[in-house]
Amino acid sequence: MLPARIACIVVPLFPLAARLRSEPGLAGAAVAVFEGNGNAARVVAATRPARRAGIQAGQTLPQARALLPDLLARGRDRESERAAQEALTEVADGFSPRVESADEGVVYFDAAGIPMPPLSVAPHPDPLPKGEREKDAEARLGRAVIAAVEKAGLPARFGIAASKLAARVAAGLPDSPTVVPEGEEARFLAPLPLARLAPVMELADTLERWGLRSIGELAKLPEGEVASRLGELGRELHATARGVDPRPLEPRLPSFDLSEGMELEWPLVSLEPFLFVGNAALERLVRRLESQGLACRRLEVGLKLDPEGYDARAVTLPAPTRDVKTLLTLTRLELEARPPGSPVVGFTFTAHPDRARQAQLALFGPAALSPDRLATTIARLVAMLGVERVGSPRAVDGHVPERFAVADYSPPPPPLERRAPRTGRGLLAIRVLRPPVEVTVEDRHPEPFDFAQGRLREGSRAFRPTSLQSTNGSEPEISGAVRVAAGPWNLEEGWWSAAPASRDYWDVELATGGLYRIYRDRASEKWYADGMYD
Amino acid sequence: MGASEALGLERLLAERGFVPKPAGLALLSGPGAKLHVASALPRRETREAPFPTGLASIDLLLGGGLARGRLTELVGRRSSGRLSVVLSALASATSCGEAAALVDRGSHLDPQAALAAGVRLERLLWARPRRVKEALAATEMLLAAGFPMVAVDLGLPPLTGSAPEAAWVRLARAAEVGRAVLVLSTPYRLSGFAAGAVVKMAEPRFAWEGEGRSPVLLTGTSSRLYLERDLGGPARGTGILALRVYPAPRPEPREESRPALLRARA
Repeated sequence: MLPARIACIVVPLFPLAARLRSEPGLAGAAVAVFEGNGNAARVVAATRPARRAGIQAGQTLPQARALLPDLLARGRDRESERAAQEALTEVADGFSPRVESADEGVVYFDAAGIPMPPLSVAPHPDPLPKGEREKDAEARLGRAVIAAVEKAGLPARFGIAASKLAARVAAGLPDSPTVVPEGEEARFLAPLPLARLAPVMELADTLERWGLRSIGELAKLPEGEVASRLGELGRELHATARGVDPRPLEPRLPSFDLSEGMELEWPLVSLEPFLFVGNAALERLVRRLESQGLACRRLEVGLKLDPEGYDARAVTLPAPTRDVKTLLTLTRLELEARPPGSPVVGFTFTAHPDRARQAQLALFGPAALSPDRLATTIARLVAMLGVERVGSPRAVDGHVPERFAVADYSPPPPPLERRAPRTGRGLLAIRVLRPPVEVTVEDRHPEPFDFAQGRLREGSRAFRPTSLQSTNGSEPEISGAVRVAAGPWNLEEGWWSAAPASRDYWDVELATGGLYRIYRDRASEKWYADGMYD
Repeated sequence: MGASEALGLERLLAERGFVPKPAGLALLSGPGAKLHVASALPRRETREAPFPTGLASIDLLLGGGLARGRLTELVGRRSSGRLSVVLSALASATSCGEAAALVDRGSHLDPQAALAAGVRLERLLWARPRRVKEALAATEMLLAAGFPMVAVDLGLPPLTGSAPEAAWVRLARAAEVGRAVLVLSTPYRLSGFAAGAVVKMAEPRFAWEGEGRSPVLLTGTSSRLYLERDLGGPARGTGILALRVYPAPRPEPREESRPALLRARA
C-alpha cells in the first residue's frame, strides 16, 4: 500500500488574489479589499504597496484612507472568489484524480502514486539517497503546481505531507514548495509558532497565559492534562500539535459546468462597458476550458440586475468552440435583441463544455476541414447573418419550388482516396426569387382553363401572357414584352391544409432579356415571378 | 579617357596576361557561371492542376478549369447561365469528396436544382448574406477556415452597398494563401485587377420546342463566353455554353453489352 501523501495548495490573501485575477489592471497599485458596508467596512487583505503604507487587516475604511488617501478600495467579490476557487480546483484536477476543495483559496489533492514531473536538467552524477530522491521529486511537483496556478492568474504556495494538517501548515510557509517527509510531521511542526495551528481565540489566549509559544511546547504536555483543562477542543489541538490528523481527504465530484463572473462596483447601463468586462471573464473561461481540452457548446449568461432581479440567457453554439470573439459577439447579439431592462450589477458566464471535435487526416484523400476552425467560422457566420441563414441546404418533399430546409453543417469525413470529378450534367439552373416578385401580367384571355369542366376553354390556346411589369418597389425589377411563353402547368399542393398552393405556371422569355418562371395564384388571382433561369 | 586610350590600356593588360571580362552568354555558360537565364530559374508558384467545372466549354476556355489559389470572376446579365456554372463547379468539388461553400447573397439557391446538378448537399455550406459587405466578410471567413472551394453569387442587380477594390484584393490573397478555388458570380465586373480570370457570359439564346398552336416547351439555353482576363494563360478566347433544361437521355445499351439473361428474355 502506498504511503499517504497529501498536497495542499494555498492562495495567500485569497480575497485580494481573486479580485486581482478579475481586474488584472490593479496589479502593482495600492489596493485593499474590504468586507462590510460604509465606514464599518474592514480591511480583509491589501497589496504590498498598501501594506508598506501601514494598511493592515482589520482597519476601517476611514482609518485606511487616513493612512493612504490614494488607496483603491474594493469590496469582497464573492463571484470572483468562487470562480478563482474553481480555477484552483481545476489546476489540481490536472495533477490528481482525487481533489478536495476546502476553504477559500485552499485545495488538497492526493499525491500518492501520481507521476512526478521529469527533471528539466540532467540528473546529478551522484544519485541521491532514496528519501532525498523522493523529496526532490515532490519539490518538482510543487514547482509545477505553482507554475500552473500562476498561469491561471493566482499566486500560490505548496506544501506536501502525510496529513492534511501538516500539508496545510507547510503550504502556509513562505519558502514554497515545502516538503515534509513521511513520519516527520511532529518534528516539522515542533519549532513553528502556535498561531500556525490557528486555534480558536479563547484557546490561544489560554495557551499564551501558560507561556506556550511553539507547537512543540504544546505537544510535550501530557494529553490527559490538556484535555481536562481545555476540553475536547484542547485535546484535538494537542493531537494536531503531535502531527496526528485523522481527517481523510474528501474528494469532490467533478463539476461539468464552468463559470466565471464578477460583481460590479457600479451598475452598468450600456452594452459596451459590459462587453468590455465580459470579454475578460470569457477569456478566463476559455483558458480554463482549454486547460481541460474542452470547448464551449452552450453559454449561459446570468445578469444580476439593480436594484433586484436576475436575467438569464442561453446562447447555443452550432459546434463546440473556444473562440472568445465568437462567444462575445453572440452574447452581444443576444443582449441587443432582448435588453435586460435594468442596470446590471453582476454577471456570470456558465459554459456547458463538450469535447472539441477532432479530425483524422487522410494521406491520399482530400484534406478535411479542421473541426475547431469550422465550428468557430460557423459561429461567426451565425453571429453575423443569423442562425437561419447559415447551414447545409436540404430539399424538402413537395411541389412548391421555393420551399427548402437548412440543416446543421456537419460534412461527412472525406473519402480516403480522392475521386475523379464527375462530368457535369450541363443542366440549366433556376435562380429562385425569395420572396416571389409580384408582377402585373397582360394576357389575351382572362381564364384559359375551365376548372369546373376540367378542360381548356374553347380558343384558350390563344391565351398567352403578353407583357410583365413588377409592381412598384419590388426587386428585382422585371418588365418587358413577352416574346415566348410556355404553359400553363398546374400545381396543387396541400388542398387539405389552411394554406393550400394552387398555381398555374408559365415560362416566359422577355424581349428585354431574361427567362422567367411566373405563376398565377388561383386563390388571390395575382401573378408572381418566383424564379429566373440562369 | 577617350576610346583610343581605352583600347591601348586593354591591349597593354592583355599583353601582361590579364583576361578580359567575358561578356553576354559566356557569363551564363562558362565555367563557374553564376547567372541563369530567367526561364531556368525555379518559379515561385508551381501551377497546380486546375479544378474542372464539369462543363467542357468553360474548362476549355480556362485551360482545364478553375485555377486554385485564384479569384475567377463570372460576369453575366440575366439568364446568362452563371448560376448553372457555379452549381456545376460545386457539384464537381463535392462529388470529389471536398467541402465547398456557397455565399448566396439573394438566397437564390434551389436545393432541388442543386441536387439535380449533382451537388452533394451534405458537403455544401450555404451562407445567405443580405448585403455585399456581409458577403465579402463571410467569404473571407470561409477561406480562412480552409474551404477548398468557395463560390460567391452576388445575385441580381441592384447590388446594395459597394465594396472597395482592396476588399477583392484581400479575398484573392486569402484564396492564394489557402490554395482555394474562389468563384465570384456577378452581374457586372466588380473585382477589378484582383481577379485571376474573368469570363464574361453574354448574348443568351433560349431554345424552345414546338411552334404555333402546339405546346411550347423550354429545352435549353446557350450563351457566348468571352475570356476577358487570364493571368495564367492566353489573354483572349471565346466559346459557347450550352445548357439543357432536362438531362440528356441515357443511350440504350448495345445488344452485346446486355446481360445474357435479358437477351434471352427479349
